Amino acid sequence: MDGHMNQTTVGVIGAGRIGKMHTENLVHHIREAEVKAVASPHLDEGWAKGLGIPVRSTDNSVVLDDTEIEAIVITASSGQHSELIRQAAAAGKHIFCEKPVGFDEGPIEEAIAAAKGAGVQLQVGFNRRFDPDVRSLAESVRDGEVGELHGLRVINRDPSAPPIDFVLRSGGMFFDFAIHDFDTIRFLSNSEIEEVFAAGAVLVDPEIGNAGDIDTAIITLRLANGALCVIDNSRQARYGYDQRFEAFGSKGNQVVDNTRPTIKESFLEGGVYTDLPPNTFVERYRDAFIAELEAFVKCVREKRPVSVSADDALAAVKAAKAAKKSMDENRPVKLDAAAPPAEGGSSR
Amino acid sequence: MNKITVGVVGAGRIGKLHADNLLAMPDVRLKSIADPYLIPDEWSSRGIVPTLDPSDVFNDGEIEAVLVCSPTPTHAEFTEIAARAGKHVFCEKPIALDPDRVRETLDVVEKAGIKLQVGFNRRFDPTFARVRQAVVDGEIGDVHLVKVIARDPSPPPPEYVADSGGMFLDMTIHDFDMVRFLSGSEVEEVQAFGAVLVDPAIGEAGDIDTAVVTLKLANGALAVIENSRKAVFGYDQRLEVFGSEGGVEAYNESPCQVRLRTADGIRAENPLFFFLERYQRSFVVELEAFVASIREDREPPVGGCDGLMSVLIGLAAAQSMAENRPVKVEAP
Repeated sequence: MDGHMNQTTVGVIGAGRIGKMHTENLVHHIREAEVKAVASPHLDEGWAKGLGIPVRSTDNSVVLDDTEIEAIVITASSGQHSELIRQAAAAGKHIFCEKPVGFDEGPIEEAIAAAKGAGVQLQVGFNRRFDPDVRSLAESVRDGEVGELHGLRVINRDPSAPPIDFVLRSGGMFFDFAIHDFDTIRFLSNSEIEEVFAAGAVLVDPEIGNAGDIDTAIITLRLANGALCVIDNSRQARYGYDQRFEAFGSKGNQVVDNTRPTIKESFLEGGVYTDLPPNTFVERYRDAFIAELEAFVKCVREKRPVSVSADDALAAVKAAKAAKKSMDENRPVKLDAAAPPAEGGSSR
Repeated sequence: MNKITVGVVGAGRIGKLHADNLLAMPDVRLKSIADPYLIPDEWSSRGIVPTLDPSDVFNDGEIEAVLVCSPTPTHAEFTEIAARAGKHVFCEKPIALDPDRVRETLDVVEKAGIKLQVGFNRRFDPTFARVRQAVVDGEIGDVHLVKVIARDPSPPPPEYVADSGGMFLDMTIHDFDMVRFLSGSEVEEVQAFGAVLVDPAIGEAGDIDTAVVTLKLANGALAVIENSRKAVFGYDQRLEVFGSEGGVEAYNESPCQVRLRTADGIRAENPLFFFLERYQRSFVVELEAFVASIREDREPPVGGCDGLMSVLIGLAAAQSMAENRPVKVEAP
């Protein structure tokens, strides 16, 4: 299969759950890429060897210093992302980085500057943008199928609450979880978030509250185009991973419902039953995870700009910060303007 | 069975609807109906005494219960007159837009010792009642989120908007009640975002046509209401309660359940057009419940306090939007 095509040589840093999934997608599904090296502090040797990855290490520099490697997939723990981006950019590698790039504007801006300075591509793992259903909704909104956009609703509920040690280093629910929804709102609306009001609660697990986080939230957003949007989040939906999207406008409403493993319907004595939604994000967004890396590799090969950049990560983090502030201060919070006009630069 | 004798005050759209429903109830005798604009023959031909003067209903010693279906500004006064005359009252929502006026009326009702039911008909919709039952039965565990979508098929004329009390008191008031009904909890605080996206004339009349309202409930749950004055595909009435053990959701209902499949696509019917169609059954059930509470001497399922709470939440929402901050709901 390989050898005849000029493949893009890729390295992976961080082989936890997400790192392993991306690596397997690269190996099994993306023919234009060859995974040469993987580095991770607790590397699963057997797994990496089984995939036929020649260079396996617990030392990131083995990947960063390999001159054959053109692109790096960063899937290390969240706190290391921005530093690894700087190192990878300095080494001249194109970068795919899982979200979050950082929990604050500073590190993200530095990462953007580092990538720009080094002239490398930097794509961020907002995988939902590559989900065929979400993408289709975004396209039809853009094509005006619902007319002028009046509102969006995003339902994002995890099947079960994460362990507390994850909660503690996650950056909080707005930064770890709702961050996807802020990006989805921007993607679907093709507009910017201007103002947010976030109401949060601890209803799933008191331990999450003790760790200083929330597990349930309703976030309402006012967009630059005038639309009013709603995100709701829960860390525990007993029936599975609940992912639904709606776009309402002057010409109608479009709905993306949950997917399910099979479309069988069972008409039984107790009622009509269908399958539950997939239970994990890996299953629900399987195609999206492959498509986002495919797009990344394609952009690297064709030297075209990536479609989801760190600028999008920056915008999402600004929304997350505003949501956190809104919840803490119990008031609607306006987002800072993306870029203040240059001094004396405006014409009147 | 000993029939309960009823009079109706107000023969507009909703008064006529209630009168028709009363006529179909075997344990009710609809004796008379009052409205300054009614056409007497329309009613006398059906065995109902028509009158232009509501006092004729209030002063009729045979009448045990009165339905107040007159224009909103007369609700409080007519309820009080009927209560003082010892009649049980079914009053359309809202009793009044001013909470103090509602409180006065509730005082009169309490002193008179009569039964008062307020017309929050949606509680009696079989679909929504089933959602509530799932909550009551613990099928979804503790309530975490309540979500209500309520969109009208087309906006009212701007002159209606000007006298309506604003969208929160005219339209969202049903949804505030629905949040209280479904959650079984009081609303403590609201934050409302509003916008004029449907019709600029509504904005010029000083109202909004699109809103998102976040509500914090006393039991710790969160709720959100989405409103629009215009959904081109019809009356969009959906809701969901999500909890620790799962979720329960009500979808739109259509006039018929068909799928038309052609090369152009697969098409289902739009939702039932508006509230008279969608909530047809609920109007019957709410009156049955009212009559049953009289007959069995029980508290009506939707009382005066429920009417007051929705007004208080609506006022808090209006203030929240005006001041762009969360506003606590005043105590009843």
